[in-house]
Amino acid sequence: MRSTLPLILTFVVGLFMVGEFFIPHWRYHMWTQVFLEWGFILAAAAYVLGLVNLVQVNLPKVLNKEQDWPYKLIMLAAIATMMIPGFIGGETRLQDGQMYKWLFDFVFVPLDATMFALLAFYIASAAFRAFRARNLEATVLLAAAILVMLARVPIGENLPVIGTKLVQFMNWIMDVPNTAARRAIFIGSALGAVATGLRIILGIERSHLGTDG
Amino acid sequence: MKRFLAPLLGLLLSLVAVPTFAATTLTATSPPDGSGENLDIAWESSDSPAGWAVLRAKGAAAAAEDTWTVLKLLAPDAKKLSDKVTTDVWTDPPADAYRYELIALSKVPDLQDVEDATALVRASGSVAATATGNPQGSWFRTGLALKNYGPILMLLIILAVGVMMWKFTEDVRAGKEVFIRRIPGIDAIEEGIGRATEMGKPILYVPGIEELQDIQTIASMLILGQVAEKVAEYQSDIIVSCRVPIVREVADEVVRSGYFQAGYPEAYNPRNTRFVSSEQFAFCAGTNGFIYREQPATNIYLGRFFAESLILAETGFVNKSIQIAGTAEATQLPFFVASCDYTLIGEELFAVSAYLSRDPRLVSSLKASDWIKVFVVASILIGTVLATFGVPLVINLFSISGG
Repeated sequence: MRSTLPLILTFVVGLFMVGEFFIPHWRYHMWTQVFLEWGFILAAAAYVLGLVNLVQVNLPKVLNKEQDWPYKLIMLAAIATMMIPGFIGGETRLQDGQMYKWLFDFVFVPLDATMFALLAFYIASAAFRAFRARNLEATVLLAAAILVMLARVPIGENLPVIGTKLVQFMNWIMDVPNTAARRAIFIGSALGAVATGLRIILGIERSHLGTDG
Repeated sequence: MKRFLAPLLGLLLSLVAVPTFAATTLTATSPPDGSGENLDIAWESSDSPAGWAVLRAKGAAAAAEDTWTVLKLLAPDAKKLSDKVTTDVWTDPPADAYRYELIALSKVPDLQDVEDATALVRASGSVAATATGNPQGSWFRTGLALKNYGPILMLLIILAVGVMMWKFTEDVRAGKEVFIRRIPGIDAIEEGIGRATEMGKPILYVPGIEELQDIQTIASMLILGQVAEKVAEYQSDIIVSCRVPIVREVADEVVRSGYFQAGYPEAYNPRNTRFVSSEQFAFCAGTNGFIYREQPATNIYLGRFFAESLILAETGFVNKSIQIAGTAEATQLPFFVASCDYTLIGEELFAVSAYLSRDPRLVSSLKASDWIKVFVVASILIGTVLATFGVPLVINLFSISGG
């Protein structure tokens, strides 16, 4: 029963939600929206469990002064630092002058942007390795990448004689081979997604059902 | 002379006294394959007012308690308007009929901060036409009215996949061999687990950063079950790093199940399935911290990734981990290809679970989707030829719109 009931629920709800694509009537849509809202509520409730998990994983390491415990202490302190002003501010926490908003704007956003900015350096190091001309395929990749990069910057566009041709060639690479490959991936992925969805709805795939599945 | 003068004078007077609005027709129709919440309002007029206004009231017949609502003020050249008759079907379900009035405005009123907008609009022009519309919801999206056969084709494809899955499962059960091409990235998962065991280091598994309802996250959870079982068999450790709390809860149960299936339920450590942060780059920084501090021998990234993909994969590269990635997110594939040892591209992600388990029912679904792929490729080839000769049959076959 512990595995049968989830299978029945998956089948019924899965089929009902697939029906949303084929049945546009508002009377049907209003119920699919209810299911979606239930999903959102469950997901929101799981944030409490996420917080519990964070504390469960990190607090013992701090108390036992395990390796790198100061980082975990900082993280737990950061959680409290954001959470307490959030609770105190309540619905007004996002208004100017509120501590939560200040912390968000002047601590969280710059840190977030810093992590994102690191991407530029990671791209450079990954590109350096990817563009080494080890074989024919890598050489073609290197040539295509150089041409596209050159055509995308003003200096490439303004090159005498070949500048315009370079941009046309870049557009061709992006519009024809690139788009063709991307569409092939999209079509394959979509069919894979349909097959995976059917496997779950029909109860063929059960590994997500837990220990009794 | 007097005989002609009187009618002529009368005609001139009538031209001055009566407004010169030409005949205007107004229609309110339910769109084909619609939800029953919309009406398409369209009008034809040779008149050229300063603007148009459309008013709406509920019900087919006029009543004392009629409440007219100003839907929109439109430019003089406007010819149509799509009206959503309700914003909340629970509190205000669509009525059987709605009446519309098209007002030809002699001047465009400013409705900001006006208490009775309807009265102001009426005072700014005159009724050019009226119409009644009946919103009708469709109980099956056919697409036939718009010559878009996509919904029907989609239904047929789903049914065909289901029938083929059943047929191929029966074939496999009857002893027929099903060929699955070798996918090095999937074979490398077991190698990676073995390597981690030899090195005495854990395996890091990242199921993407999307919500649980995303099909790539679901596929990743299915793979995680198989990976966890292998990890348990090898008596190694697996760290699962999650961005979404509910994904962590499911991952926790899936990994526990994997250890249980392998016969080592006591070896499972729930503290290794971790929620890091719901913020993309905070999650990325936290997961990078796991890579630097716990130095996993194998990193597996399977699911939907965005800008964090390269940051994670490059950190893993610096850590000299074996890295296996898989995503159907086309924009992130180049990053994984550049930084990881093996990359599962698009559909391969959805094939991993079946490939690892070799369960005939799962394998049959791969074969079924391969046959649909043959159909899609054939349709592309035929459609290209037909479209070149101006026949849009295949284009219409795959078109999806309406609603």
